Amino acid sequence: MTGRGFSPAPDGRDVMRYVRVEMREVAELVLEGRAPAGDHLRGPDGGVRAGVLLTLLDTVGGLCGGLAALPDGWVMSTNLAARTVTRAHTGPLRVGATVARRGRSNVVTSVEIRDDGAGGALVMHGVLTSAILLPENGPPHWERPLHLPAPEPTGPAPGVEEWIGLRRVDGRTVEIDVTDGLRNPWGVLHGGVVATLVDAAAAHGAGGTTTDVVLHFLAPNRTGPVRAHTRVVGERSDGRVVRVELRDEGHGGRVTAVAVATVTPG
Amino acid sequence: MTAAYPPERHLLRDLRLAFEHGDDGTSRARFPVVPEVCGASGSVGIGAVAVLVDVIGGGLAALAARPDWIATADLTLHLTRAVRDGHVEARASVLRAGRTTVVIEVGLRDAREQEVGVATMSFSVLPRRDSNLDVGGMRASGWTTMADARSRLHAPLLDELGLTVVDPHAGVVEVPMLDWSRNSMGAMQGGAVGAVAAAAAEVACNARAGGALVATDLQLTYLAFGKVGPIRTRADVTACDDGRAVAQVELVDAGGESRRTAVARVVATRPLP
Repeated sequence: MTGRGFSPAPDGRDVMRYVRVEMREVAELVLEGRAPAGDHLRGPDGGVRAGVLLTLLDTVGGLCGGLAALPDGWVMSTNLAARTVTRAHTGPLRVGATVARRGRSNVVTSVEIRDDGAGGALVMHGVLTSAILLPENGPPHWERPLHLPAPEPTGPAPGVEEWIGLRRVDGRTVEIDVTDGLRNPWGVLHGGVVATLVDAAAAHGAGGTTTDVVLHFLAPNRTGPVRAHTRVVGERSDGRVVRVELRDEGHGGRVTAVAVATVTPG
Repeated sequence: MTAAYPPERHLLRDLRLAFEHGDDGTSRARFPVVPEVCGASGSVGIGAVAVLVDVIGGGLAALAARPDWIATADLTLHLTRAVRDGHVEARASVLRAGRTTVVIEVGLRDAREQEVGVATMSFSVLPRRDSNLDVGGMRASGWTTMADARSRLHAPLLDELGLTVVDPHAGVVEVPMLDWSRNSMGAMQGGAVGAVAAAAAEVACNARAGGALVATDLQLTYLAFGKVGPIRTRADVTACDDGRAVAQVELVDAGGESRRTAVARVVATRPLP
């Protein structure tokens, strides 16, 4: 399947710069990312926000999946599912990604995030599934084993909501614009930013801290604003289960993602 | 459906599943609540619901992918309310039907029309083979069922699957490959795989927590068909605190060179309200 053009730099580097993740291929098709648990990445409960953890999962897992897709093509995230294990984080964080399955049309990567400042405690585990697409200008070429240093920060980093430009529309709805700094190498809203928007919407709509997320990327967010609407499905002893639907309002209001998240009170 | 599938005694018949495929791109399925589909808490277990979701999601995805065929990539299921009587109904709709993937969302309701959970599934689209089921006739109007007058569960669902607990602390359970629980491709039915993963997680979480937790939330990623058996699990409880335990589960086909067939991340909570 052919996709649009792909440009590894500078698009997508802004997201890497924001989360300050460095990525290294430590064995064939085994990726390791390292990122500080900076204050700007933390939520009201003091832990690194689930959206940021999912951004790390999408970024490192996506690169791992992309390398597995070569030379047939490169990858675009189609869904991710992850669970938070611990919400108190010291940092730095270590992200490990391995290929669980490489099929003809997709790649499944398993990702674990650990807290090296807390003896390697498990922070989050999940799975990222990506479709293999052939960019119009061909798949990217990388020197192997791959090493991508974290891009240098350009100044003080804002908090997560300020970074994505979050606006609260009503008690159940938030939205953001699709700015160039939030795009991925395919030129559409970065999967990690989509996950961060889902996290922010779920926490806003249900009141609390997002822990677990299942996210299906249905269509690219090209135009914006991208609006996230939440609905509480029910409540359990571990929190509220929330459905989140994203629409690209500037693209005919088409549904671009659907997620189910668990939000713990407090 | 081909004449050979499902056989006379089969999971899909004995759950007494009934289906209705609408002309609007949606499908519904339900099963009656009987003691054999309920867990220790007295409400419907996540395993039976996983089978329901897999059947209706897979059927609708197969329709959406025509003339091609599908392979299930993942299934997620979140239960939010206990169901103790009546039926559980799944309402499936297509979120995306693309050239390479189909994504289905399933809403779950009880007989009182209360929302009891939500599920999603995604599928890879594959070229059709001669051996694939013909789903063209599934658009019949009205409710249909594969059950006949003799169809019923004779024991709790996990017992019917043949599940035995080998090591509760490590979440090791084993399940034989039975014709009763195979899908049309000869592998363990996808919902049954979910039932096994959830059972393994629940056993391990309760071994750690001292009991009283119920699997209510399942993220299941299919990696390969389990066709030989027994299917063996291992569960690692990664978090366990008041009201919530999390387990990672790996399923392998022990008779098939221990090939990894699925991985799951399961949450167990206190029994649902």
